[in-house]
Amino acid sequence: MLVLKKTTIDKLPELAACLMEKGTLVAPVKEAGGFNFRAITDAAQVDLIFHNTILSPKTVFFPQTEDFVRYSVYQPILEAKPVEPEIRPTFLFGVRPCDVKSFEIMDIHFTRTGVPDPYWRKRRDATIIFGFAFDTSEEADPAEFYHTLGIGAADPDGSDVFMLRRDDVLFLKAVSPRGENLLGGLAGLTDAAPDERKYFDDYIAQGHDYKTRYTCVDAEAIAKEFEAIFHNTDFWTKVSNACLSCGICTFVCPTCYCFDICDETQFGQGVRRRVWDACMFTDFTLEASGHNPRTQVYQRLRQKICHKYSFHIRKYGPISCVGCGRCTRYCPVNIDIFSIVEQAVQAKWYKRM
Amino acid sequence: MAISFEQIEQHLKTEALKLLESGKVILVLAYGRGYDANHPMPYVAKHPSDVDNIVFNEYCTANLARYLTRYPRRTKIAIAVKAADSRAVVQLIQEDKVCREDLVVLGIPVYGMKNFKTGEVIDSKTTGGLYNPVLYDILLGEEVHGQPVSSPYDVLAAYEAMDKEERWAFWQRELGRCIRCYACRKACPMCYCDPCFIDQNKPKWGEKSPESPGNLMYHLTRFHHLAGRCIDCGECSRACPVDIPLYLFHKKVAKDCEEMFGQAAGMSIGDKPVLVNFRVDDSDKILE
Amino acid sequence: MSENNPYIPMPVEISKIIDEVDTHDIKTFRFTFVNKDDEQKFVYLPGQFAELSIYGKGESPIGIASAPTDAGYVEFTVQRAGAILPGLVTSALHDMDEGGRIGLRGPLGHSWPIEFLEKKNIVVVGGGFAFTTLRSLVKYMLHKDNRSRFGDITVIYGARTPGLLCYKDELAAWEKRSDIKTIITVDKGNETWTGREGFVPAVCKDVAPSPENAVAVICGPPVMIKFTLPVFFELGFSKENILTSLEMRMKCGIGKCGRCNVGYKYVCSDGPVFSLAELEDLPRDF
Repeated sequence: MLVLKKTTIDKLPELAACLMEKGTLVAPVKEAGGFNFRAITDAAQVDLIFHNTILSPKTVFFPQTEDFVRYSVYQPILEAKPVEPEIRPTFLFGVRPCDVKSFEIMDIHFTRTGVPDPYWRKRRDATIIFGFAFDTSEEADPAEFYHTLGIGAADPDGSDVFMLRRDDVLFLKAVSPRGENLLGGLAGLTDAAPDERKYFDDYIAQGHDYKTRYTCVDAEAIAKEFEAIFHNTDFWTKVSNACLSCGICTFVCPTCYCFDICDETQFGQGVRRRVWDACMFTDFTLEASGHNPRTQVYQRLRQKICHKYSFHIRKYGPISCVGCGRCTRYCPVNIDIFSIVEQAVQAKWYKRM
Repeated sequence: MAISFEQIEQHLKTEALKLLESGKVILVLAYGRGYDANHPMPYVAKHPSDVDNIVFNEYCTANLARYLTRYPRRTKIAIAVKAADSRAVVQLIQEDKVCREDLVVLGIPVYGMKNFKTGEVIDSKTTGGLYNPVLYDILLGEEVHGQPVSSPYDVLAAYEAMDKEERWAFWQRELGRCIRCYACRKACPMCYCDPCFIDQNKPKWGEKSPESPGNLMYHLTRFHHLAGRCIDCGECSRACPVDIPLYLFHKKVAKDCEEMFGQAAGMSIGDKPVLVNFRVDDSDKILE
Repeated sequence: MSENNPYIPMPVEISKIIDEVDTHDIKTFRFTFVNKDDEQKFVYLPGQFAELSIYGKGESPIGIASAPTDAGYVEFTVQRAGAILPGLVTSALHDMDEGGRIGLRGPLGHSWPIEFLEKKNIVVVGGGFAFTTLRSLVKYMLHKDNRSRFGDITVIYGARTPGLLCYKDELAAWEKRSDIKTIITVDKGNETWTGREGFVPAVCKDVAPSPENAVAVICGPPVMIKFTLPVFFELGFSKENILTSLEMRMKCGIGKCGRCNVGYKYVCSDGPVFSLAELEDLPRDF
């Protein structure tokens, strides 16, 4: 039986320091504009007082830049050195349930289909995830809609250790054998009392009913809706009228995975690295001949949304979205993917055709 | 007298309806409701029935002029503009990207606009500090008078107190946060180049990754591409997801430009773009 | 990190360069492997492609032009790309000499479905420079170890002018063989051209290959495909029996970077070979 442990919020820095001794601790840190997951250098920075981060925690497994090979243009190809990423045991601390779910979805793409991606795999294998429940006593953030994707406010699935805060007490429950191993070895944690265990279990259960924005979405059905609407230019033009075609939604999204492979050279020394890219960028599909299949904003926005709510379902099974709301929250013009999905579900535009 | 956003919305809807029904324009660039009342979106009304969806409130900060260059020339467009937005329209006319005759400019005189991400009131700290549009065909409210007038360059005091080394360190720190999402470029009405210099391959002006010096190359070059063209709407800074104070550099360049050449961007359609126009009496300060 | 790392290229050396066309912008590069293990692991079938890698320039996905029956080397026919945006990799490659070394990642993608093609009559239709993986297929089928596995082979290949025909020596050799019907055409001949003149779609109509137990394999520029497909529909070929190879901008080549999708399929890892029936399932637009 996996035991429930607890500590107090003011003793979080001690817990953090303990984890920092064992490896790299990555937790949300306050920065300009909001919070972001960063490697912790000062244990006092860890306080878990945040709603959610700007960039999703996919940055731990899929950093914005990942170096592949170091080369020199003056040296023969055999001198080029593949880069060995330095990966220490990592503790990803304070991941919301929707973001934990995103890792599962990304696993299918990166390692469980086709050739496994060695970088994602190594980083994923080295990381222990401390999930963190949303506060269900607060009203849902208006941008979020993870309830629509079947994710509860306190789902422990996918975490190694799951955390829940109640006033100044932080509960930690081992969910996986790795989590249990780790918790057993952490000093400063005490066992929770039976009534606290009940509180924890009840909280997880009622987390399923926590109301974020909701519309009934079935993966198969929504894939077909978007397939049917694909060629409806009126719908897509209307939906993309405000879109700037920047890359914010892609970069903050936990389930977006597009990247570019770039050779970046300065004064003859260079590194081949992968760098985040976005299908929203104008030149994403620009070919050497000069032809670009997606010159219009509506074509790119259509690609993005159809990828998440149709193509990904056809290819891999799940919807490529966890309803975290970041795309909506950080969109400079407030485009709302939830309402676009709603419109497709209600097939308003399709029926108008 | 306080601004009535409801009245402006009403007038905007009335005018939009008239223009669409008469066929004088084929689309109206305005604002519509987003996922809640505090998060409006830019909205394009094409049919008279679309007019019902138009809203206007204090969060309607988007500079709609950025959408003008998406449409082919000769497209008849009505556009709702606040003070800074109207300057963008003027600048685009100066640069011959859009024809005056193709536009019906619906001017919105307003103060008290708010940043929908932070809730703070937008003033001359991050914009040009004007309240009345400099160009319009129809004014959708009464001109704003009596508001405290401050220079859009007042906010530069702390920045100008920094010496060269401090400024360099400042921008290296701030721009180090940049994730190269290009929201700043896309939010800007004056960034219409296709392709943008940073996307070019031969020559490659800057690398793609945020870890490279590409961040500095991109931003510093863009700041200079906007010299004499930036109309100080502040949209770039509001669009930035990591809060880089881009407006500081833009304002500094705008101030220097105005001092050197006696012209601010986007004030009159009779002006020629300041860095394109050669006058015999132009300042030589830039050569010092 | 280089073991089994699909992003790290293996070194190859240029052993021969063949200038294919009179405009000198299409060359066939023959590569040998610097490491013998790499050569042993590089097992491919016609239709697959590889990423040619030059550090400092980037990578370029190119169809494999040699056949697996060609031992000891692998060939790629590369055009110096880009009228508007000069291709970095292809230009650099064209400027290299024999002995030059580059990187190679592959083989990538799905091949022409050899099992599906066995015991059938194969009609190979190609236009211009898109003939490379078709040439690989024909060489493979013509090899003495393989010829008996396939029925009649018909090749219809056209280019804009005689000077732009690729693999001229091989075409001449095929024309002399009795176990393959070779029809070469050009859009416009010259003083010395004694062969056919005519666009590929018109020639296909003329030759009228029978759809009986036949599969058509068609590769070419979009305009050629657009006019050739209706000819084959009219001749009675079903959509499952018409195969083609798609091209999109690619980067990783292994279905990870998300760039080359048409609908839910990635051209690099789910294709590049698709039957027309499969393409019907995907959006017409990208």
